Amino acid sequence: MSKQRKVQRIKAGYLPGLGDEEVQWQTLDFTSRDGRVLQVSVPVLTAPQMQALACRVRKAAAAHLRPMPVADIIDAVDRAMARLLDRNDIYRQQAEAWLPVVSGYDADMVRLGLTGFFKTFRAAQLKRFVAEDFANPAVLDGFQPAAKGGAVRAFGPDLLVHSWAGNVPALSLWSLVCGLLVKAPAIGKLASAEPLFAGWFARLLAEVHPPLADCLAVVWWRGAGGEEADALYAQADTVLAYGGNQTLDALRRRLPVTTRFLPHGHKLGFGLIDAQALDTLKAPAMARLAAWDVMRYDQQGCYSPHVFYVQRGAPVSARAFADYLAAELANLQRRFARRELDLEEGAALARWQQNMEWGGEAHQLLGPVDAPWSVAYSESLQPLAPTALYRTIAVVAVDRLDAVLPVVAAQRDYLQTAGIAAGPEELYRLAGLLGAAGVTRISAIGSMSMPEAGWHHDGRFNLLDLVRMTEIEQSAELAAQPLADYAD
Amino acid sequence: MDKAASLVADLLAFIAMDDCTDDQFNQLALRLFAYQYECNAPFRSFCQRRGATLRNVRSWRDVPAVPIDAFKAMELRSEPPSPAERVFMTSGTTGRAARGRHFHPQLDVYDLSMKRYFARRFMQGLERMPMGILFPDEQAMPNSSLAHYLALACSEFGSAGSRYYLNSEGLDMPALCAALEESERSGQPFALLGASFSLVHVMDALRAQGRSFRLPAGSRVLDTGGYKGQSRELPLEEFYAELSQLLGVPRSLCINMYGMTELSTQFYDDGNAVLPSVKSGPHWIRSRLVEPITGRDVAAGERGILVHCDLANYNAVTTILTEDVGLWAGSQEKDGFLLLGRAEGAAAKGCSLAVEEFVKAAGA
Repeated sequence: MSKQRKVQRIKAGYLPGLGDEEVQWQTLDFTSRDGRVLQVSVPVLTAPQMQALACRVRKAAAAHLRPMPVADIIDAVDRAMARLLDRNDIYRQQAEAWLPVVSGYDADMVRLGLTGFFKTFRAAQLKRFVAEDFANPAVLDGFQPAAKGGAVRAFGPDLLVHSWAGNVPALSLWSLVCGLLVKAPAIGKLASAEPLFAGWFARLLAEVHPPLADCLAVVWWRGAGGEEADALYAQADTVLAYGGNQTLDALRRRLPVTTRFLPHGHKLGFGLIDAQALDTLKAPAMARLAAWDVMRYDQQGCYSPHVFYVQRGAPVSARAFADYLAAELANLQRRFARRELDLEEGAALARWQQNMEWGGEAHQLLGPVDAPWSVAYSESLQPLAPTALYRTIAVVAVDRLDAVLPVVAAQRDYLQTAGIAAGPEELYRLAGLLGAAGVTRISAIGSMSMPEAGWHHDGRFNLLDLVRMTEIEQSAELAAQPLADYAD
Repeated sequence: MDKAASLVADLLAFIAMDDCTDDQFNQLALRLFAYQYECNAPFRSFCQRRGATLRNVRSWRDVPAVPIDAFKAMELRSEPPSPAERVFMTSGTTGRAARGRHFHPQLDVYDLSMKRYFARRFMQGLERMPMGILFPDEQAMPNSSLAHYLALACSEFGSAGSRYYLNSEGLDMPALCAALEESERSGQPFALLGASFSLVHVMDALRAQGRSFRLPAGSRVLDTGGYKGQSRELPLEEFYAELSQLLGVPRSLCINMYGMTELSTQFYDDGNAVLPSVKSGPHWIRSRLVEPITGRDVAAGERGILVHCDLANYNAVTTILTEDVGLWAGSQEKDGFLLLGRAEGAAAKGCSLAVEEFVKAAGA
């Protein structure tokens, strides 16, 4: 007797003003670990449809988003987040049901990740987020007096285009919220590996605040796209893109010089663990925190660690720390199983393990080779290089943490997050050195993969980078006075 | 007779047989495993890390497969270095710096392995035929196993007048065209052998000149090794369609050889009329398809990474883990496998830097 396999279908994207029957649809297939099949239909637009969509979101934003005070936008996003945090809400339920299927990540891991992530977009956090970039957030709503004289106001992009990549669930929320806070009409291009969340968010936002219904659109195209992508990019005045440097470079070449391009390339995270953190009480706890950073989204975040540099000479040796870390990864595997790897991913992982295994006396691969995690321990300083991801982590013993600086500085283009476990003085000293080397975010071990609300992604001003300031100079203000009706 | 010499003698006799039973293969594989475990120190420590011992390795399938990267990192050898040994090296075109090395104390086994199976799969009953080689000779590339292979083909199976059409100045198209014309005129079948990318160069040159040939029946082509960035990359379908069209050789006689520097035995297909073609080897080599991390055999019908156990690899290690993806062609392993390319393209799924992008950027 053959069991009928149930196939679930979801329509992805969000196309205000376009009926389902007016566009072509393509299907992306996903299969869950337990064999559930999900078919995601993604829209394929023509170039004229892209242009029409751009006009529509622009017009809607001019009517409804631009005049909205930032406080009201924050309120709308907050209400959307409240629903995404409510386990009984249909949006939350579909996120929990289907994001693990498209991404392949453990369902509990996704559930915890989403909650932790959405929490950073509540009203209080969003206000802080705005305040991080604007000393006076009211500049987003109207002209405000400038200290030097005159007045200043911030305007968001005329059309913001997002290009998302990768399978980190709900990653698109970051840039979507940034765009909303600066009141930009936006069109986002879905990542084929996570084609769901952005469309859901746009729909949810329209539910919580219907006037915003036409201010966002979510589209898709295969790979780099063709004419339809060109048509959209030609309309954008700001493009925010995620992806590898090669992809980003190709995208940049397609844009007119006048288009503002905000790329977020792939990054290489690492951690530093001072001897102070390695007494017999602290070391096991530290290893547990480090393991969480490795486990979250199987190291696929830009902030995920690849290497922990561990200082020698503590009561718990670097090698013993590596053993603790291996044990914690084994524990976490029981709670949050690693994603199933396809043949190519498995082969790349095996190759990394082999390089460690055959890399000479300096390297040791801890644990069984077929475990769904891998710790490579090195006795001597190693270049900062990516591991095979999917819970493969290098632990490198060093005499002094300063020895790491040259190898870190050599990867300046890929630096972003460094986790540090050290005393306060050492934290600030190392942070100064790492910042000079190119690191833009320093967190506690265990928080590497959980950036705080209002962080400056890749060291940039996420909101300020999106706006242009319009200034009324003092001269204009003064020159206006004699022209007033009431002038004497 | 010392251990190595008696092993070599037995191996030569084994290769000279027409076929073997599973038992015979196993016995020799286990004898070679014991020999390599004893004499090849890096291999022994690899086995120890994998928990493989003389006691628990009971079949050729239990022999730990050494990843081909190990040929770069270590000297995998059972006999000590000698002045007479030949060293074949990998081309090092895959973007990784070090080159893998395969040490052959003498080439008797390699040569017999090559000749026995080349005769069967490429010559198909002919003793000799006129050959054109599109590859540098052994003097130019003394560390290339392919140069040695083709030299052997030319000297052992080429009739008088067989020669190389590639020299330090490049492709000798006028001479090659003359040879092809002569074959057309005389009706004497011709064999053209070389690297896949050299054949692309020939095809490009013929196209540029607007020339094509109708070689007489029985003419054949052997290509091997892929393009390696040395020519334009064209899909296999186009490659064989164009090759067949320009030379007038049916695709069933456009044979691809799949070999590796790390092996001493080659695989062939029965032409490339249907793609991907089925590759198979002689009785002294056996293959497995494994899941890359666990090393376990994949389920029937699933793609896997190819592991080869080549008994002719008596000095290095018999069993290697490749980076090639394969799929069993039929219901039995001896029906051969489809070669589906290299296991590449494990691009980042998220926003964390992947090795692949990192290596590419470093190489750029």
